[in-house]
Amino acid sequence: MISLAQIPIPLIKIVVGLLGILIFIGLNGLACVYLERKVAGHIQRRPGPFEVGPHGILQPIADAVKLVAKQMITPKGADPILYWSAPIISFAPAIVCFLPLPFGPSLQNISINIGLIMVLAFSSLNVLALCLGGWSSQNKWSLLGAARDIAQSVAYEIPLLLSMLPIVLLTGSLNLADITAYQGAWPWQWLVVKQPLAFIIFFVCIFAETNRAPFDLPEAESELTAGFHTEYAGMGFGLFFLAEYSYMVVGCALATILFLGGYQGPVAPGWWWFLIKVYGLLMVMIWVRWSFPRVRFDQLLNLTWKWFTPLILINILITALVVKLI
Amino acid sequence: MERLGLITLILHILIVVVGGFITVFANNIVRSLTGLILTLFGGAGLYFLMAAPFIGIMQVLIYVGAVSVIIFFAIAFTRRAQFGLTESRKSSQYFLVCLLPILPVAVLGYFLVKEITTSIPVPQISSVQTLGKFFLGPYVLPFELISLVLLIAMMGAVILGFEKKRIQMEQLDQAKQEE
Repeated sequence: MISLAQIPIPLIKIVVGLLGILIFIGLNGLACVYLERKVAGHIQRRPGPFEVGPHGILQPIADAVKLVAKQMITPKGADPILYWSAPIISFAPAIVCFLPLPFGPSLQNISINIGLIMVLAFSSLNVLALCLGGWSSQNKWSLLGAARDIAQSVAYEIPLLLSMLPIVLLTGSLNLADITAYQGAWPWQWLVVKQPLAFIIFFVCIFAETNRAPFDLPEAESELTAGFHTEYAGMGFGLFFLAEYSYMVVGCALATILFLGGYQGPVAPGWWWFLIKVYGLLMVMIWVRWSFPRVRFDQLLNLTWKWFTPLILINILITALVVKLI
Repeated sequence: MERLGLITLILHILIVVVGGFITVFANNIVRSLTGLILTLFGGAGLYFLMAAPFIGIMQVLIYVGAVSVIIFFAIAFTRRAQFGLTESRKSSQYFLVCLLPILPVAVLGYFLVKEITTSIPVPQISSVQTLGKFFLGPYVLPFELISLVLLIAMMGAVILGFEKKRIQMEQLDQAKQEE
């Protein structure tokens, strides 16, 4: 029998942190569904969900209950093991991505020296899940969606990774807490002022990596029904959905930490500033989704290979020179 | 803490071994790839246990996140994988496949156990800065040579791509002339 005192404290910290992250992901999913539908409604001059609760505020809970209660169907001819493991592979790394994020001055689950690469490495597992799901569904739309997703994610991962390098060069650290501490409380002390181009490229790449409109070709509703998750019902789809919102939050949180000063704010720095900035960026993502049409696939690939990659390479070169000279 | 470490080690070795068996014995090529990914993931975990988190993360980022996805792209869109048509292997093939890894494991294992002694008994986490200084200091030549190899591979891929395009264009021209 192991007594409680024998359990190492780091383990307890990680378990408590993971529980907190899971609660946050769940609540975030509910909030994002409501936000998305309400903002979409108002942009299209209609009220959005209005029936369940005052101003439809309980709508996401009704949605969640519906998703959980739905029957899970495996399509005929599908590979059942890969088919059902795909949503789990998509969702599980999202939890790890939250571990090194500093939500507040003392609200970081594990202070790891390579936090930035850790988030990137685990968020890149999502592509794998999507192509496994798309392939194992035995459905042409799913397979096409998966093919598009691979081409898109591989192409956009390059400028995404490179757009973080100028920040690492400036701050000299891969620890997200150090990068936050490098920046000051006021907006002109944030790194977005020094690296505006890197911020724009980073933010656009987040759109592409999370398959958000205008880069939602892997799940283009009008062409591919729902792309890689066409066949998924119930919580299989629900997990993909939760994962997508979690990756959006991870992306926005990274943008906040790297470029917008993280939890630092003009008055009273703390986790509230972090959440305000993250949800501000999320609102921008939702706004963009309902404002721009989907890009064509050649436009999508031209943008990253012909514009973003060369531009960000020049940006890194200039940053390196400036850092070396000053 | 030590017992916990041992349990984690055994768990990771199990992941690697089970992944390897799935890779070899699965009769569907995508399932084989999934097994390979499992093995690579277990390897990444072993790096973490050996106090080399940077290498572990890189393993996840490059091999699991990028290389295997590219392999997936290549194999998932061949006809055979799409319809799950694969020939069953002979038992002699299985025997040879199982025999193959024993040789490198035996040679490497012999040298690891007999010849090489550990420099420090407890592994220490070296920072990314130290790694960078090593790569650009004493190991600069191998480091640059590796990048040269990658560059040549990339150039080869581009040239091959253009070659295909050129042949297609010539065929199109010929077809036009014949008309």
